[in-house]
Amino acid sequence: MRVPFLLALAGLFGLPTAWAAQPVELAFGDFFVQPIGPRGLEPTERLKAASGHEVRLVGFMVQREQPQAGQFFLTPRPVAMAEHADGEADDLPAATVTVLLPEAQRDRFVAHQGGPLTLTGRLEYGPAEDATGRVSWVRLRLAPDALEARPSAAAAPSSH
Amino acid sequence: MKHHAPFLVALTALAAGSAVAAPTVTRLTPPSELFSSGRADPVIARFLPGQRFDLQATIKPDAGQKISAARYFIDGKPVAATVALRDCASGCVKGLAAETAIATVRAVSSEAAGRHEFSVEATQADGQKVVAKGNFEVVPFTTAMGPKVKNLIILLGDGMGASQRTAARIVHGYAQGKALQPLAMDSFTATALVKTSSLNSIVTDSSPGMTSYVSGNKNNNNEEGVFPDDTVDAFDNPRIEYLSEYLHRTQGKQLGIVTTADVFDATPAGNAVHTSNRGAGTGIVDQFFDDRAHTGLTVLMGGGRKWFLPAGTPGSARTDTSDYAFSASDAHTAEIVKRWGVSAGSLDKGRDLIQEFQSAGFSYAATKADLDKADAARPLLGLFAFSNMNVALDKINGRRGSEKNGLGGASVVEDFGLPDQPMLDEMAAKAIGVLKHSPKGFVLMIEGASIDKQAHNMDTERWMLDTLEFDRAVRVAQDFAAEQGDTLVIVTADHECSGAALIGGSVVTDAKLAELAGKKGVANLRNSVVGVYEKAGFPHYRIAADGYPETTDIDYRLLVGYGANADRYEDWRTKKTPQRDVQQPFATEAPLKWYPANAQERDDALGDYLVTGQVPGEQAVHTATDVPLSAYGPGALAFTGVIDNTDVFFKLAQAAVKGVVAPADTSGSRKPPKPKR
Repeated sequence: MRVPFLLALAGLFGLPTAWAAQPVELAFGDFFVQPIGPRGLEPTERLKAASGHEVRLVGFMVQREQPQAGQFFLTPRPVAMAEHADGEADDLPAATVTVLLPEAQRDRFVAHQGGPLTLTGRLEYGPAEDATGRVSWVRLRLAPDALEARPSAAAAPSSH
Repeated sequence: MKHHAPFLVALTALAAGSAVAAPTVTRLTPPSELFSSGRADPVIARFLPGQRFDLQATIKPDAGQKISAARYFIDGKPVAATVALRDCASGCVKGLAAETAIATVRAVSSEAAGRHEFSVEATQADGQKVVAKGNFEVVPFTTAMGPKVKNLIILLGDGMGASQRTAARIVHGYAQGKALQPLAMDSFTATALVKTSSLNSIVTDSSPGMTSYVSGNKNNNNEEGVFPDDTVDAFDNPRIEYLSEYLHRTQGKQLGIVTTADVFDATPAGNAVHTSNRGAGTGIVDQFFDDRAHTGLTVLMGGGRKWFLPAGTPGSARTDTSDYAFSASDAHTAEIVKRWGVSAGSLDKGRDLIQEFQSAGFSYAATKADLDKADAARPLLGLFAFSNMNVALDKINGRRGSEKNGLGGASVVEDFGLPDQPMLDEMAAKAIGVLKHSPKGFVLMIEGASIDKQAHNMDTERWMLDTLEFDRAVRVAQDFAAEQGDTLVIVTADHECSGAALIGGSVVTDAKLAELAGKKGVANLRNSVVGVYEKAGFPHYRIAADGYPETTDIDYRLLVGYGANADRYEDWRTKKTPQRDVQQPFATEAPLKWYPANAQERDDALGDYLVTGQVPGEQAVHTATDVPLSAYGPGALAFTGVIDNTDVFFKLAQAAVKGVVAPADTSGSRKPPKPKR
């Protein structure tokens, strides 16, 4: 009965059933053929193979002027956004990853943190339009324990 | 908007003496003080003779009633055009009753100079009528003292106030109080100070900041080429004809748009696209292409490839939610197509816009190498990035092969997958090379976009280098104008950004500054570093052969403070992206911090030098401070004094349509002086 019980738990928390597997180490440079050609992005076999699986990725949390609850962007370089003035005319690279908190935590704002972060989650590749109309191509779904158990009293300083 | 019942005349209500009811006009467009406050001055909306614009009124009928008809009058004479009448059963902003009517006449104009009164007369189903009045002015062309100019070049340093200009000049070098190498924009022959307010705020954003220069009218923030309305449709607002459209229609001039931003961004779009939502990327880029015969669009260059790729192609951002399609049957939008002669649009996120540009005869450049090869005899589309292009500092480091400090040991442009992006001056030179084949001349807008974007970030070195990059494009335009003698060039900004102030110079070497940055805190990073007055001296940046500083991390550097800042942690050094040699474990893997909604506080518990911001959030903001505008070419001396941003439009049009009204410089010459190089 033990295995079905675990599977049930995994389902409850939105975990992939392959939760125990070692995550695949991925880098932003692994996503798309570089340099980018004259038209669209060309996903690598490595990205396509990783889609739907647990991956570990190092990147930088984008500093947003108007953060969205339940998600943040991860980029290969530090990026700050001035959405009020600039909207989607932003400095995000094409390989930007939209990092999604579990459904139960979608009301939470993740504090901006300077410096590189290592994140582990389930990778998704393919177009998805969110409620704001923004289209993402690569998403990382975090596990429930990716956040601290309690909300923070104050934000960490931004990098400068 | 908040107004106005005292100034409305409910005719039937007065006649019948029925106390309660009468329809009311809650918005009348073009906007006027006559309608809003009852004052005839100042006149808000001004147009050129024949310049087209839409008339619109929002009319609230009595409960249970509907508006059955509406008519417009200009100077008491009926406007002979279809009045499109719609209700607000759907598609209107919150708070409007379903029976609210919106009455629109598209693309009207007046040739007669002077002030005009216009009115709307709306009739309710029960026969009651309401009349509301507004005014506008037609600004006449005046007698010229010299020939017409053939070409107009507008160089727009986004967010570039006086401080940003001065900083770029200081980077070029000073000796005993004199500039070693003035900026190209410093050598322009006339300068004015420009008031930048938008229709709805003392602090404009880039949309009305741009459109005021090229439409002669104030727009609301976030809106471009339109007046505000009461519908949610972002593409149906009352339009105002742009300089590009007016000069293409009346003279056959071509249009060029060059930017370092995403081409859908407010400044580029504010030359050719009409929308109340500057964020509607798919519709905006579609309109660039679909209405190119209306605007004369011949060159379009910048970032923003994501909007041109069919949905489904990796990297595409096209959606139907950011697109538009006018109805063929509902006169409210059908009349836009009919009267303005423009495309109806369609919800076509699967469209391959790059391919369509190519099929229409455009060359397409995705890199600087492509740009160099592009045939100057053909129109040109250049899309060098998926969103904004990388900034000058990062592009230059990429070219130099320096600062390969990414996580994988690559430069910034390599990490973005776009290592071969052109500099703005290279784009400007190519744009002019293409446009100079226009037999009737051209309008060219060249934007240094990230002066603003990096000022938002309070990333001093990046906006300084983007200002230098922009000035190199100014030089290209000035050299062309000097050679041609028939080209008027202005360089200005849409607004200032960040309240940047050049507060002095560092009193320490960069090595010492790095050491102090490691120690952190106010005592180390402020009291030990900031040299004011004579302690600032003259920071000395060494300029490399490529025209940019060898490094921005010099000893005794220029220091910039921010008056419109968010909280920031300052260490004065060029913002680095990570160093490769950071010790492992390189990246944090601890659980992420989070907040309940709306709690956004910071502290300086880690001992950093926290500069407390006057504005909330993470980003410095635009300011209402006037911006300088400099002019070069025939008629340049018309650009002096303290002027409204909308005045610029009428001065440019005068020079192009009727001829210049001022000399090129104070010697009285009609031709501009050759710039010293």
